[in-house]
Amino acid sequence: MFAIKLGLRNLTRQKRRNIITTMVIAYAFFAYLFMDSMMNGMEEMSFENIRDLETGNIQIVHSDYWEEREELPLENLVYLDQDVEESLKNINGLSGISPELRFVANLNNGIDELPVLGLGIDSDRYQEVFTTGEYLVDGSMFSLGENKAVIGEKTAQLMDLKINDYITLLVRTKEDTFNTIDVEIAGIVNTTNPMVNSGTVFVPIDIAQQALNVENRVSLIAIKVNPGYEESVTETLNQNFKRKDLNLKAYSWRESAETVIALSTAKKAGIGVILLVVLLIGIIGIINNVILSALERTEEIGMMKALGMKEMEIVSVFMVEATGIGIIGGLAGCLLGAIGVAWLIKYGFDLSYAGDMTTYGIPILNKIYGVWNFSAFGFLFILGIIVALFSSIVPALWAARKDPVKAIYHR
Amino acid sequence: MALLELNKVKKVYQQGKIEVPALRGIDLMVEPGEFTTIFGPSGSGKTTLLNMIGCLDTPSEGEVKLNGDEVSKLSQTELAMVRRYNIGFIFQAYNLIPVLTAYENVEFAIRLIRHIKENEIREKTLNILEDVGLIGLENRRPNELSGGEKQRVAIARALVKEPKIVLADEPTANLDSETGAEVIKIMVKMNQKLGTTFIFSTHDPQIMKYAKRLLNLKDGMISGDERR
Repeated sequence: MFAIKLGLRNLTRQKRRNIITTMVIAYAFFAYLFMDSMMNGMEEMSFENIRDLETGNIQIVHSDYWEEREELPLENLVYLDQDVEESLKNINGLSGISPELRFVANLNNGIDELPVLGLGIDSDRYQEVFTTGEYLVDGSMFSLGENKAVIGEKTAQLMDLKINDYITLLVRTKEDTFNTIDVEIAGIVNTTNPMVNSGTVFVPIDIAQQALNVENRVSLIAIKVNPGYEESVTETLNQNFKRKDLNLKAYSWRESAETVIALSTAKKAGIGVILLVVLLIGIIGIINNVILSALERTEEIGMMKALGMKEMEIVSVFMVEATGIGIIGGLAGCLLGAIGVAWLIKYGFDLSYAGDMTTYGIPILNKIYGVWNFSAFGFLFILGIIVALFSSIVPALWAARKDPVKAIYHR
Repeated sequence: MALLELNKVKKVYQQGKIEVPALRGIDLMVEPGEFTTIFGPSGSGKTTLLNMIGCLDTPSEGEVKLNGDEVSKLSQTELAMVRRYNIGFIFQAYNLIPVLTAYENVEFAIRLIRHIKENEIREKTLNILEDVGLIGLENRRPNELSGGEKQRVAIARALVKEPKIVLADEPTANLDSETGAEVIKIMVKMNQKLGTTFIFSTHDPQIMKYAKRLLNLKDGMISGDERR
């Protein structure tokens, strides 16, 4: 108990040095918590953007389509017949179904041509699954049968297009012959997903099916599910397809977002490196503090030894002091971190200066918003205390093992 | 039985390849309650001798017995235990802990002794502070005390655990002659009151006059042993 009392009192010695060490630890904590929040925010936003604007929660495709889906083939499409429709009915947790026909197209504005992803959709059903419609900055969505299109704002800027302009989509039919889709621009969207904003053209699915000569077939059926139902719905769908002997398979959005998920995993490794740096800063700060304290208090250590204190009792005095610095630094760091994270959640961090984030495979535009990760606060605080405690042991032992005679007379 | 017994104690320090003898064969017996002064010129071995007696250092040759027990061959942890229970130290530079009050500096020594009740710790600490004339100053920190007051705190710290022997290495060297004499008088008083054995080193002839036994140390050997 006395060692604790003395260790805590020692915190009031060398105030300037203790404050500097505490501030260094606090800053390291803040940096970690801020980065962690930003990275988690980035991950959450990326995943949301993929789910709400690209894939839905689940995608149903023909078993042979999945492997080649990046090529946007018109082979192995899903025939939307009664059997398929029935397989999707009355599934608990399923909240939206949207068939999509994906195809390669060249957008022509009369002057220039741009390769784009053509997306045939039923806009009413599409809005059951995707939030794209909420991002209309001009015009409106189209209805089935209308020769109209919705394009991203970036595409519109690039091709100098506006509402009511006409565009031609040059496509290849299922039989590999050329065809065109002439449509009027009905709406322009500016979503948080850069993939949608540049290079995607939405057209009515029936118009696309007719132009591509694929009858009533679609590339995939995107499904929206209520939170927490992703796994169970995927499983039910796959069971239904198997039972009805349909050559279809349901895939979670995670399987189509492998790149982003791989980036997220890499992010975790990055966070680990930051954590390591933070801990290293803490360790160096604490070791430096204990060594300097021991050097300044050599005679005091000698007196303690003369009074009969054992090495571990002297070590415990330094450990309490170091742990105290760790706790104060940790608390200050958590407080700073909380302020930083709150700011990040409210105002976001503008990444536009770093250029288009899609270049790095991150489907986010402009600002990244943070998220609270309370477990990181708790984890870092406890880890900080443990590190402070253990990093003080070696220098404290070095101090406690001083020869008492040399220590007393400061030789 | 003698409280302290030194038989042919030698201490040689190694300075590079050169061996420097500090003690050249000391034979000494100290009885309980003695008030002994070790004097001699600088480099005569006073501090080394006190370190041997105080179990802070071990002899190169010979034996040191405390209460009949050989202590010169004990491990560092065992020596720490011997010091904790049997020996009090008073240092020239006081060596008080600046972040503790006078009371806490004294209490610190007795708290190292296990199995002492809280009220007993308080009672013993206050009693010894009263004996050295520090009641009223017990809540002051060392930087709020004069040199003499600091040394009185150090005396109280050495005595509070009721050790068999108190060692003081030039306890008055940092004090003016008047304050130094006051400090020695307190030591004499405590020697008489508690019967604690005191051994201290000094250069000051004014201080030596209080001693009941004078040991003259010269070139690492006792050249004179006078009892008064």
